[in-house]
Amino acid sequence: MRKPAYGVLALFPSADALLKAIPKVKAKGYAKLEAYTPYPVHGLDAALGLPESKLGILVFLMAAFGAVGVFAFEWWANAVNYPLLTDGKNAFSWPAWIPPTLEGSIFLGTFTAALAMLFVFNELPFFGHPLLKSPAIDEITRDRFGLLIVPSGASFDEADAAAALRAAGGAAVETLPAPSDEKPDAAWWTRTALAIAAACAVAGGATAFAIRVFPTVKPMVNMEVQPRLDAQEPDPFFANGRGMRLPPEGTVPRGELPILVANLDAGGRVLIDPLPVTARVLERGRRQFDLHCAVCHDRLGTGRARLSSVYSAKPADLQSSTMRRMADGALYWVISRGYNTMPAYAADVSPDDRWAIVRYIRALQRSQDAPERDLK
Amino acid sequence: MSAATTNRRARALWAAAAIGAVGVAATYVLDGAPRFWANWLVWFVILACVALGTLFLVALQHITGSLWSVPLRRVPERIAALTPWLVPIAAVALFSLPAVFSWTQPGADKITPLVLKSAWLNYPFFILRLAACLAIWVLSYRLLITRSLRQDETKDPKVTVSIRRFAPAFMILLALTITVFAFDWVSSLEAAWYSDMFGVYLFAGAVTSAVAATTLGVIYLHRRGRLPGVTDDHLYNLGGLMFGFTIFWGYIAFSQYLLQWYANLPEEVFWFQQRTSGKMEGVFILLMAGHFFVPFLGLMTRSDKKNWRRLRGIAIWVLLMEFVDVFWLISPIQGRGLHLSWPEAAFALFFLSAGLLVILRAMNRGEDMPVGDPFLADGLKFHLR
Repeated sequence: MRKPAYGVLALFPSADALLKAIPKVKAKGYAKLEAYTPYPVHGLDAALGLPESKLGILVFLMAAFGAVGVFAFEWWANAVNYPLLTDGKNAFSWPAWIPPTLEGSIFLGTFTAALAMLFVFNELPFFGHPLLKSPAIDEITRDRFGLLIVPSGASFDEADAAAALRAAGGAAVETLPAPSDEKPDAAWWTRTALAIAAACAVAGGATAFAIRVFPTVKPMVNMEVQPRLDAQEPDPFFANGRGMRLPPEGTVPRGELPILVANLDAGGRVLIDPLPVTARVLERGRRQFDLHCAVCHDRLGTGRARLSSVYSAKPADLQSSTMRRMADGALYWVISRGYNTMPAYAADVSPDDRWAIVRYIRALQRSQDAPERDLK
Repeated sequence: MSAATTNRRARALWAAAAIGAVGVAATYVLDGAPRFWANWLVWFVILACVALGTLFLVALQHITGSLWSVPLRRVPERIAALTPWLVPIAAVALFSLPAVFSWTQPGADKITPLVLKSAWLNYPFFILRLAACLAIWVLSYRLLITRSLRQDETKDPKVTVSIRRFAPAFMILLALTITVFAFDWVSSLEAAWYSDMFGVYLFAGAVTSAVAATTLGVIYLHRRGRLPGVTDDHLYNLGGLMFGFTIFWGYIAFSQYLLQWYANLPEEVFWFQQRTSGKMEGVFILLMAGHFFVPFLGLMTRSDKKNWRRLRGIAIWVLLMEFVDVFWLISPIQGRGLHLSWPEAAFALFFLSAGLLVILRAMNRGEDMPVGDPFLADGLKFHLR
């Protein structure tokens, strides 16, 4: 049996002619119509009797999902899973999450709009569309407006449909054959693959430019260049040309008592914890330890924090017997000066905080190896 | 509408304005100068925003050469009749300078940021700027609108051409003057604070509320059959503008907040702290939800923007939010707490009824559509689909 035709197509010279023709063709009893135009024509949906597109609802739902999803992810990442306290703000710092939330909703919304339009509502890919085989497609993509009568019902007659289109002012009437079930050939796949590769290359090149080249271009320097001396900058004002000044001979800056002992053992003998024995000191030590030390030494001091698995050096196990025997002053010396790969913390942690950390390490050690009298 | 109804409505407004005026005077006597001046400034800013917003809308339609807006243009032109009344309101507001502006208070010459700004914030220059702004606004009103009203009789198409030539220049003048106005009359209340996008912030609210006022005016006239030929499609564009400027306001408001919240500099962030903590926190949340989310979600679909009832409700809501916005900006200068009681109601009664009297009078004068505009017929033919 011969497959039924895809439809009967006619071309109109203008959008107005098309809009005027549609009711005339409909009046002849052809209900299923399709239009092909070089640009979106206002009023075409209504004239064709198409229902309002569902695309808007789909885009709204996906955009809302993007907004809620990104906000929830930001909340989980920044407030729950790994709370980051910066700049004196709460872990739940929602204003900072609004820009990514906005981006998330735009991202999902626009992608939904484009992809759903192409692949859901327009049912692409459709390689065997009969219109693409017709010379009419050249004109429709240029300056002609096509109207197609889609066969419906058993009594459809191509000649009648063609006559109806002609009567409505259509020209170049033709019957489009049934869609072929052709599949793309090897050449099409090659072209498509090459196009995707070219797009990737362009995007990669643009990214490289944006990351490597663009930052070295400085259109605005007014925040970067300021009338002040940065660290290590020379300054001709001083006789020795150094911008950074040394304290006068024999003086000690407030709060920066230097450690004059050269090694850990001497530190253990000489340095003495000045802090009182109070719960506040321990609490301070806990905060400082969790902030600076726990990332490598683990919150219990076992040296098996999550960073150690990706880090070649093995952080010290603060629960080991060596560490238990080490004097308070020696621990303080190590925190201040660093040891092996551990950097010096004197610049980041104040002396009192360092002593509080030592105190807290002792509490941690006791918590993991408690004598029986502590448990009663 | 019969003249009798108009007169009855006008009499009711006169009575309301009179009661409001008593309340306004009582505020000064019973509650003191700061309360009085804060409220006076709130309404000065709101009325200036609505008037400038409508001038902006009229100029915008001339610049873009929009056809859809021609049949509706008389409505913003009539609401802009508030512009000349800004002069007396501003003249009274000048007396608030020594009372509530932080840069006029004793000891201001010892606060570094105020000293640095003293070249800008001093009496002669401040008054000069106000005079310049008012002169530009009133002149622009005459050039943009009075000529258009006169065109109804002359039917001279050259008027349209010459208004369209002036409109772009007005945009530049408006950008400058509304920024100066925002800095002078709102920011400089807390003169140590600064935000260079504050002018844009006030502008965004001004245009949103002007579109809302225009929408209400169009619906008012349309229900009385005075805008024949105006359809859902014309209304749709007003809804679209309201929706768009709602998003613009939200974007600007949040950007301003985010930058200062992030940087957390004491000289900037105190301003937001006053307005987001204590009892003002509720107003802040109402502002975020009401000024952005309600119109944003309420005007999202195409059918929402064509729904006359929906649009009227949202337009009234948007105007209410403009009051909340300006109240949120200015009221905290009186100190901590929520300053919302009978004086605020009295001021609202006085300025709303007086403003409505001005608009109503303009509404009942001349033609309801710009019959002299050569594009009116095309504008009436406007269809979305």
